[in-house]
Amino acid sequence: MSKEEFIIETQQLEKKYITDTVETTALAGVDLRIAKGEFVAVMGPSGCGKSTLLNILGLLDSPSGGTFRFLGQDISHASERQRAKIRKHNLGFVFQSFNLIDELTVEENIGLPLAYLGIPRAEADKRVKEAMERMGIAHRHAHFPQQLSGGQQQRVAIARATVSNPSLILADEPTGNLDSVHGREVMSLLSELNDAGTTVVMVTHSPSDAEYAHRIVNLFDGQIVTESLNARKHAAELL
Amino acid sequence: MLKNYWLTSWRSITRNRVHAAINIIGLAVGIASCILIYLFLQHELSYDQSFSDADRLYRVTSDMSLNGQAKKTALSHGPLAQTLTEEYPEVEQATFLLQMGQNSLRSKENALTVGISYADSNFFKVLPFPFVAGDPATALQNPFSVVVTEELARKYFGSADSALGKPLTYIASTFLVTGVISHPRPSHLQIDAVFPLHFDTNTEYMLNQWQMVGGYTYLKLFKAEQAGALTSKMPELYNRKAKPNQQMDGIAVTGYNIQPITDAYLDKDLEYPVGDVGNITYIYIFSVIAVFILLIATINYINLATARSAKRSKEVGLRKTIGASRSQLVKQFLAESFMLTLIAVVVALSIVELILPLFNSLTERSIDTIFILKPEVGLFILGIVIFVSFMAGGYPALYLSGYKPVEALKANATPNSGNARLRKALVVLQFTISLILIIGTVVVYNQMQHLKGVHLGFQKEHVISVKIPSIGWVRQKEKLALLKKEMLELPQIAYTSSAQQLPGEDALVSDFQVEINHKMVTRTINHIGVDYSYIDLMGIKLAEGRGYSREIRSDETHSYLINEAAAREFGWTDALDKRIKLPDDTLTSKVIGVVKDFNYKSLHSKIEPLIIRLEPHFGRLLTRVNTEADLSATLADMDKVWKKHFPAFPMDYQFLDESFQQQYRAEEKMLIIFTYFTILTIVIACLGLFGLSAYMAEQRTKEIGIRIVLGSSVSEIVLLLSRSFALLVLIAIVMAIPIAWFSMDKWLQNFAYRIEISWWVFVTTGLAAMTIALATVSYQAMKAALADPIRALRTE
Repeated sequence: MSKEEFIIETQQLEKKYITDTVETTALAGVDLRIAKGEFVAVMGPSGCGKSTLLNILGLLDSPSGGTFRFLGQDISHASERQRAKIRKHNLGFVFQSFNLIDELTVEENIGLPLAYLGIPRAEADKRVKEAMERMGIAHRHAHFPQQLSGGQQQRVAIARATVSNPSLILADEPTGNLDSVHGREVMSLLSELNDAGTTVVMVTHSPSDAEYAHRIVNLFDGQIVTESLNARKHAAELL
Repeated sequence: MLKNYWLTSWRSITRNRVHAAINIIGLAVGIASCILIYLFLQHELSYDQSFSDADRLYRVTSDMSLNGQAKKTALSHGPLAQTLTEEYPEVEQATFLLQMGQNSLRSKENALTVGISYADSNFFKVLPFPFVAGDPATALQNPFSVVVTEELARKYFGSADSALGKPLTYIASTFLVTGVISHPRPSHLQIDAVFPLHFDTNTEYMLNQWQMVGGYTYLKLFKAEQAGALTSKMPELYNRKAKPNQQMDGIAVTGYNIQPITDAYLDKDLEYPVGDVGNITYIYIFSVIAVFILLIATINYINLATARSAKRSKEVGLRKTIGASRSQLVKQFLAESFMLTLIAVVVALSIVELILPLFNSLTERSIDTIFILKPEVGLFILGIVIFVSFMAGGYPALYLSGYKPVEALKANATPNSGNARLRKALVVLQFTISLILIIGTVVVYNQMQHLKGVHLGFQKEHVISVKIPSIGWVRQKEKLALLKKEMLELPQIAYTSSAQQLPGEDALVSDFQVEINHKMVTRTINHIGVDYSYIDLMGIKLAEGRGYSREIRSDETHSYLINEAAAREFGWTDALDKRIKLPDDTLTSKVIGVVKDFNYKSLHSKIEPLIIRLEPHFGRLLTRVNTEADLSATLADMDKVWKKHFPAFPMDYQFLDESFQQQYRAEEKMLIIFTYFTILTIVIACLGLFGLSAYMAEQRTKEIGIRIVLGSSVSEIVLLLSRSFALLVLIAIVMAIPIAWFSMDKWLQNFAYRIEISWWVFVTTGLAAMTIALATVSYQAMKAALADPIRALRTE
């Protein structure tokens, strides 16, 4: 694989939290490469640094040490403004707790990233409509988040994460607040997006969710302890 | 994007109704106060602006010296107008005006008391009062002509048009209406009826002498820019014309100035003003209060917004994660404050419309309800909207948009301690302002009560004064004597007398020759003319000597009474038989008695030296009614006597205590407006406290739940939540006291008879503010404490 095809490359990535009295190491030298089009699951026990890693990969947080390249560009020391710009253009987020804005309708929630990108109204409306249809929530377009079931809310969140065609989707326990039926539904949606070319990085506790990934990275105490390829997924793709 | 901002703002407002209502009510009242004060200010600044060519109209003012004391006056010499017109190329026309006070003017059907003015025939050429009927160029040429206002014409003759050529009787002469004018208002000039100055030789004389000042000179320049040139020529004019003719030692004009007519109304430092004088100080005070109210409302917004920040942090984090830039978030929050302010403005405008009639009657102005159509008012409101949106929304916008997404997304972000400190400081500021205003109101109220209760040196109760209609001086004299005699026969009447000047009114001022160290020295002294029984009727006490007596013939020709202040001023230890002489008197008078000082002027000023002349024949009739008598029955009996002598005139009477009180009307009005505003500030500050304590209680719901589960009592919880607010109010009290004391002490220095601000004012206002604040906070605390603890613990 040539270097350009990696969407994410980290070397000796560190993150320390310093409070008045204690220094906590959340990440202690993480080397990770994620190729374009990959579906990676990050697993590990609570407090192992999964979410910290995801936040740094998602440019919501900055590392304390090491290098971080995003699409070949070193952004370890990027400013908040630069990071906001990269986020806006390349990233989509899906959270365990959906994180929809209560004051906005389904349609408006999904359209928000496009509004921040400054995409013209007509074009944005079209893309929001497509995203809603893809996620099967078009009939709920005028509802507010509290009027929807958890599964529906997560589909809205995914629609919002994908509406701007990001190259990378970061999902933090996307099925954590859902029952198994809705969980599977969400996972197959993510899988479909991945099949269509979007890179997906997902943090999860659930081995069955991890089954959808090409590769599973296991974190422990802020370090990668094992990496394994998902043979079944690879086999399925070869078929 | 803009639509998104609006939508989010609108939903955020409608979802948090209580919060929005607190903000809207506070801001609306603040904005309404600002609009009202702005309208008032605009009205006060618009005096005489509606005269055409207002920028070319000027008034001559004189610097004068009274007993060596420099004073600026609105008065000037009679011949000045003609001199200015003839000898100064800058002046197009000048005119001389005499204000003769109120007097009765009669048509066949109607007798009304109106303002009488005398003017030379140039008057309407200089001051362009629009003529409804008649010709301004010739209206005052005939000596027996009169020009009246449209309102008067309507009262006398039914309409302005039918008035022309109709007769009106003034004193004992008949005048024909030659003009009907409309009075451009507001104006410092109070014109009802204008007579040609030359109908009366006594006043015509004023036009030809440089010794006395007594009227007003107005002039019109050819070009407004010539004012500077004319001003620089005024010293030369004074030196050439007036100075060589200054004969009197006591009163002397020492220079002339000119003043734009548009500045005349607000120049409260000029003595002997023409008509109404505004007081810009009150406008400033009210402007400051209006801004205070707006500030308190703005603080409410800031405090509630930052208190709520924990709730909104998640939204901010989310928007940032999705790609919102900080500036986009700032815009969103500003849009919210902008929308709230807009709603508040709509509410404020309705408040203004509703309250304007009351405001007009309180301030005695006539501000139009269609004010909103004026472009400058629109601009002012727009300015307020922008200012308030940024003031209120600015800090929360910057603060909220600064959240880091990762931290913000963690359910409820920890409250920022710097923020809490700012909130506390702002609450202290709100209460400091409110307390200053409360203390101010209490002090003003106490001072007004004090003035009412001050021992005046005379008995103002149960004294009735009656005006004698102008029917020619011979008949007036006869009628006054008869009325005094016949009314005294009424059983309810203890005394009758007459006086030319009543307490609370300006006394006359003249130069007297006074014996000081065996020499006759000129002194300018206040004097009043009264009848024999005046001192007894008024209950004025004698300090030395005796009062006037009918039995002693010399009293009528060469005797004077003085007050103690005069004796002190002249250094007389034994004042009796000291000599006093008016320049015109043939005989030198002697002092026959000294009366104890009484307040013949307003209580603003100390009692000045006074000479009480005997003048039994003219002035207003005075009666003292027995204390136990029924006033309305007495008035009815007096009216019967009156009707015998003046069947055509209604008895125009006043109670002395009421007319004396008139001089404090400005202060009393101020007190009322002050009180309203003060109540508003404290209500709005408490509204904010109400909202703030609701959030505090909500934030500590879990803590309260745990405490209650562990056995805490409701009162302990209330105490816990109220304690921090009580401390803030306490700090505000400590801060407000010195500021309030200092500024109110300064205000009190305007009064010769003033109270000292006592400690209990501070204690009671402090306690009151504390009680109100704690009552507000405890409501929320009680609500939190009485809530089901299990639910409190579950709602995480």
